[in-house]
Amino acid sequence: MNRRHRLKWLLTAASFSVGVALIAAACGGGGGSKTTTTSSGSTTTSSSAAGKSFALFRIAMDTGTDYLDPGLSYTVEGWGVMWNVYLPLLGYKHVNGPDGATIVPYLAESLPTVSSDGKTYTLTLRKGVKYSDGTPVKASDFKATIERDYKVDSPGVGFFGNIVGAAEFGKTKQGSISGITADDATGKITITLTAPQGDFMNILATEFAAPLPASTPAKDQSTTPAPSTGPYIIQSYTPNKEITLVRNPHFDASLLGGNVPVGNPDKVVWDIIGDDNVALQRTISGQDDWMSYHPIPPDRLSQVQQKYPDQIKLFTPANTYYFFMNTRVAPFNNLKVRQAVNYAIDRQALVRVYGGLAQTTEQVLPPTYPQYRKINPYPYNLAKAKALIAASGDKGMAVTVWNHDRGLDPRATAYLTDVLNSIGLKATQKIVNAAVYWTTIGNQATKAQIGFADWFQDYPHPLDWFDVLLNGERITQTHNNNYANFNDASVNTQIDSLKKEPVLTPAVNSRWALVDKEVMAQAPWAPFLNRQFTDFFYSSVDLSCYVNHVLYEFDYSTICMK
Amino acid sequence: MAERVTESEFTLESASLLAAADEPSAIRGRSPWYLAWRRLRRNYVAFFFLGLFIVIVVACMLAPVYAKHVAHTGPNTNHILENVRVNGKETPVVSPGGIIKGKLVASIPIGPTWFGAGGKFVLGADQNGRDVAVRLLYGGRTSLFVGIISSLICVFFAVILALLAAYYGGWGDFVITRFFDLMFAFPVILLGIALGSALAINGFHHFGINIESGSIWIPTLIISYVLVPYVGRPLRGQVLSLREKEFVEASIAQGASPFRVMFVELLPNIASSILVFFTLIIANNIILEAALSFLGAGVQPPTASWGTQIADGQQLIVTRPWLSLAPGLAIILTVLALNVFGDGLRDALDPRAKVKVSH
Repeated sequence: MNRRHRLKWLLTAASFSVGVALIAAACGGGGGSKTTTTSSGSTTTSSSAAGKSFALFRIAMDTGTDYLDPGLSYTVEGWGVMWNVYLPLLGYKHVNGPDGATIVPYLAESLPTVSSDGKTYTLTLRKGVKYSDGTPVKASDFKATIERDYKVDSPGVGFFGNIVGAAEFGKTKQGSISGITADDATGKITITLTAPQGDFMNILATEFAAPLPASTPAKDQSTTPAPSTGPYIIQSYTPNKEITLVRNPHFDASLLGGNVPVGNPDKVVWDIIGDDNVALQRTISGQDDWMSYHPIPPDRLSQVQQKYPDQIKLFTPANTYYFFMNTRVAPFNNLKVRQAVNYAIDRQALVRVYGGLAQTTEQVLPPTYPQYRKINPYPYNLAKAKALIAASGDKGMAVTVWNHDRGLDPRATAYLTDVLNSIGLKATQKIVNAAVYWTTIGNQATKAQIGFADWFQDYPHPLDWFDVLLNGERITQTHNNNYANFNDASVNTQIDSLKKEPVLTPAVNSRWALVDKEVMAQAPWAPFLNRQFTDFFYSSVDLSCYVNHVLYEFDYSTICMK
Repeated sequence: MAERVTESEFTLESASLLAAADEPSAIRGRSPWYLAWRRLRRNYVAFFFLGLFIVIVVACMLAPVYAKHVAHTGPNTNHILENVRVNGKETPVVSPGGIIKGKLVASIPIGPTWFGAGGKFVLGADQNGRDVAVRLLYGGRTSLFVGIISSLICVFFAVILALLAAYYGGWGDFVITRFFDLMFAFPVILLGIALGSALAINGFHHFGINIESGSIWIPTLIISYVLVPYVGRPLRGQVLSLREKEFVEASIAQGASPFRVMFVELLPNIASSILVFFTLIIANNIILEAALSFLGAGVQPPTASWGTQIADGQQLIVTRPWLSLAPGLAIILTVLALNVFGDGLRDALDPRAKVKVSH
């Protein structure tokens, strides 16, 4: 599983909320006004501390945490810890289901006021909000935080490139970003963009935009945590060993309109455990209360299900697993070969390779999307695949199948390699260390022909799939996400056109569905499944409080104990 | 030959005849190799394990025969969605998973059929529906190839470096021993992982040598390289000692060239140690290959090796322990056979030698 991708999912999730907010604005907004003001929303959270607080919640965490600095972390593990620690101006509802993608104001008084040209966002900081060290949060801290992101070479700076002056600041790291103005006296923050950006509220809801004191050093603060605004503070972090969160003494949920829960556990300890079996055993025995990001090992699943049926939760984040085929490199520059691969894969077999916790797919978008229209363009047909290879003139061509070495994924390419050999290609597998896999296949110099990839949404918007992964105009020499180098003029035009759509109406959704179909007709990918995952808890955990957030997955702050 | 003399005929003359007849014949010369062989053949335990090793090698060499005529499948052929008849009952090679009858069920491959399926999946299947027994035999070919070839290469370079260092001494010795020290500074596994990971993407393309990534030669050469000092240093010590012997001085005094002294005088005198090292280091290298492959830095999947098979079975260790147990047992038996035979060989060749491979 590609954690980097899972993180992007978080970012993009925000833009769905923007869509939701914009729909609300469109429905309720009066015509003719110069600015559009979205509703501020005081949302009731799914859980409060009243009567449900308890002393300690222990978590068996995997080793995926990169940083615990909101300016630097870009993994689902890092954000999973920090979303209750460092609050952005905007954030997401702490609820189950699609409603969790709704953006609500956190440190801002309300959702931003957006100018009619879509370029200026105005927010006002809530009054009385303090950091965990007791100092008040200032509007200028937001500006300093974005500038700090640039100074620490944050992986999130790309999200702020549309702010006026940000690109220049990024080059020199001197002066300030002219497109952000902040008035500490009034708490007013104004952000000016160079061009309208439909998902900008989502960007403001990322951890990269969570205000830190302006004095925070421009270097990694993971082990010397900066003062925070959320219900918890990071008391200590020992990499590869333990993370300890305790309550923030200066957190006042009432100041945030109820959008951020107080949190039930007084203390949260994350034991960093490398092995799935060890994590499971610790959770069964009560040493830990939750297996965080650790899947239940397939051969323990039946036993665990039998013994602890009420302590398992199955969930399906928006994801697609696929084999990319590099359309710039032979033999995959030939449509017949790409189609042959799609026909040759028996997706049911791949589901079993992944232990059965998955659903087959033959398209880009996952089924949880409103734009999803199930298509079945490549039913399993080995004879047809062989015929296509024979007709392509590429029979016997050498093919290298790329993959990383982690988890169950290498099994998928072992299957693919066998399939390619069975249809007349000469395939060998190349397994690369997971730490360098994505940059390796994302480098044009590698000329990776075919290989494994997966994508977990950054935010529930088709742009996060088609624009990031399949827009030929976004192909780069290095760090390329379009592993197939798919560059179809018609698809590009449609993506660019749909990018300007501020609202995901049914008509727009239908257009996205057509893009999905058109892409698969060109077969740059062989999508094969949407995976499901499990959360497993110790028997003392009361799962009536269970919240699996659409972006951050399990919400540890709202959990209860029996 | 003296005539036969009875006691009743005993005279001074006949006594002299008897004395001539009792004169001891000349003692026949025996080479050290013959003496070693005589000692070795009395060591039945060593011979038993040599036999075991030969059986393992032959079995692995016959892998294609087994695959074609018994299992009817190749080592990398997936049978995920197929069924197999086991003792008259249709059984899926990999069971379906997901939510079945309201319960969360994982897909699990078939366990050992013990010839209940006519030779198919005798030791069960892995998650890709590949026949474990077939992969075990093919994996043995890989592991034995890596173990034996890497030992040959390692010992070859270790001997050359040991001879050069000990014979010439001085700067040459200094450079070679510092190289050994440098290598000793890195734990073997870590150095192997580092090299394996570095060469995994682009392979090796230097000094006119082109090895593609994923080639079996990558782990073979890595293992050869990292173990050179572990053989070279003790051999250097032996050569240093031999260099001071009279026969070496005599050879030099007679004008023998350095090459002749090293390879005609010194090398035969360390041959027994080399042989013992070679035997023991094969076992060591098989373990190292398994470790590197288990950690993803050795033999690359889907090529079967005992190390990759153990790694493949790791996630099913509870329900399908044979996935890891079978290659694990194969490693244990092979290494045990080589070590016991190697010890026997050492005892036979030079009982006083303290030759061992440790790192």
